[in-house]
Amino acid sequence: MRNFELIGNFLLQLLPVINITLTVSVSALVLGSFIGLILTLGKIGSSRILRGIVAGYISIVRATPPIIMIFLVYYGLPFITANFFKINIEGWNRIYFVIIALTLLFSAPVAEIMRSAYLSIDKGQYEAGIMVGMNKFQIFYRIILPQATVVALPNYATALINLLKEGSLTFTIGVVDMVAKSQMIVSNNSGGYAWQTYGSLALIYWALSLAIGRVVALSEKAYQKKRQSISI
Amino acid sequence: MLKIRGLKKSYAENEILKGIDLDVKKGDVITIIGPSGAGKTTLLRNITTLESADSGKIEFENIQGDYSALTRQETKKLRQSIGFVFQNYNLFNNKTALQNVMEGLLTAKRMPKQEARTEALKALERVGLLEYKDQYPVQLSGGQQQRVGIARAIALKPKVIFFDEPTSALDPELVGEVLQVMRSLAHEGTTMVIVTHQMRFAQEISNKIVFMVAGRVVESGTAQAVFENPRAERTRQFLAETLVQY
Repeated sequence: MRNFELIGNFLLQLLPVINITLTVSVSALVLGSFIGLILTLGKIGSSRILRGIVAGYISIVRATPPIIMIFLVYYGLPFITANFFKINIEGWNRIYFVIIALTLLFSAPVAEIMRSAYLSIDKGQYEAGIMVGMNKFQIFYRIILPQATVVALPNYATALINLLKEGSLTFTIGVVDMVAKSQMIVSNNSGGYAWQTYGSLALIYWALSLAIGRVVALSEKAYQKKRQSISI
Repeated sequence: MLKIRGLKKSYAENEILKGIDLDVKKGDVITIIGPSGAGKTTLLRNITTLESADSGKIEFENIQGDYSALTRQETKKLRQSIGFVFQNYNLFNNKTALQNVMEGLLTAKRMPKQEARTEALKALERVGLLEYKDQYPVQLSGGQQQRVGIARAIALKPKVIFFDEPTSALDPELVGEVLQVMRSLAHEGTTMVIVTHQMRFAQEISNKIVFMVAGRVVESGTAQAVFENPRAERTRQFLAETLVQY
């Protein structure tokens, strides 16, 4: 019983900083999806050079461990901006660096997911779009993308859950998120109650992951319904 | 109205179209027939710029010149003045029948939504599918899907509609409804270029038949001339083979 009490108590201490985790994840989700979309366009486009660049970018990003990506961005980006653009960003809130690192990490799987979803859509519809006079952008935006999104949803959820977990490395550059807070709690207790502390942290991550899975499942279902709705 | 001269297309070493001439006048119903591999579908796809022809001249509206030298504007203009009905319907799967027909009106013609809706409903009515307007393609039979495909083409009021084997993917009992729609379009004076294996239908509705073999036009003329008095030996052979089953 004592353990449940402790875990409940730790949960209450950790939850107030959940907004850091959420901010990081949601920002990287939005920005990474956007960059992933652009990468996808490059990858399915007709320019060979562009395809090569995108493929190179994706394989490098995929081969970079999350923690190294965070360090690279945190230590490397200020160096680049200072030397090439004469902009000093050392005073930036550290959370921005995490968001940039995770955005880069997230964009690679998104590009792959979107590309395979795109390839799964029957291309006859593209030709049909051309023949009713639509331009490439209209066909992509109005016909291909809505269908590809549905195909991509399950894989997207997996990537999003990975992103959420990668976000647990935020503490490594000194942002006080739930992980950092857990560490503080444990050290304040001189190393005691460690498993209860990290247990409550794990509970929060489980709940978030489950919620993501649930939302995706619901939106999949909603689309199925829309398609099969019969309204004569 | 549409004049094609010396259209050529090769894939790798294979020359599929070896210089095709085609004249389409307003109100024409032209059917292209011929054995598999003759290049009939390839011809339609190249005329309509779905594929880029290697060479050949086109005269259409105020477009004049070689296919290999069409500007973006000209290609766009050409595509907006023609309709295309696909063998596999190629309906937009995320849109209802009505939305499928409205799509081109909204995007390419930039018509206001209400007006596009009215036009689209008219087109659906012409193919007899008004009561299916809110169905998605997955909920429609092949014949119904193809009729939506035809509605999508006619809604844009194209100068000429190309039909690429419109009934080839259909179950036999669904062929009739599609042919019926095409028949009524022909009677209303729609200019059509059709590739089909429905010989009786071709004979019935076409005012001109083009017989192709191996990338060349072997014979062309009125339906009566080609079907009843074929000049070329190859045409006679083909007709004997295909018509015997009826």
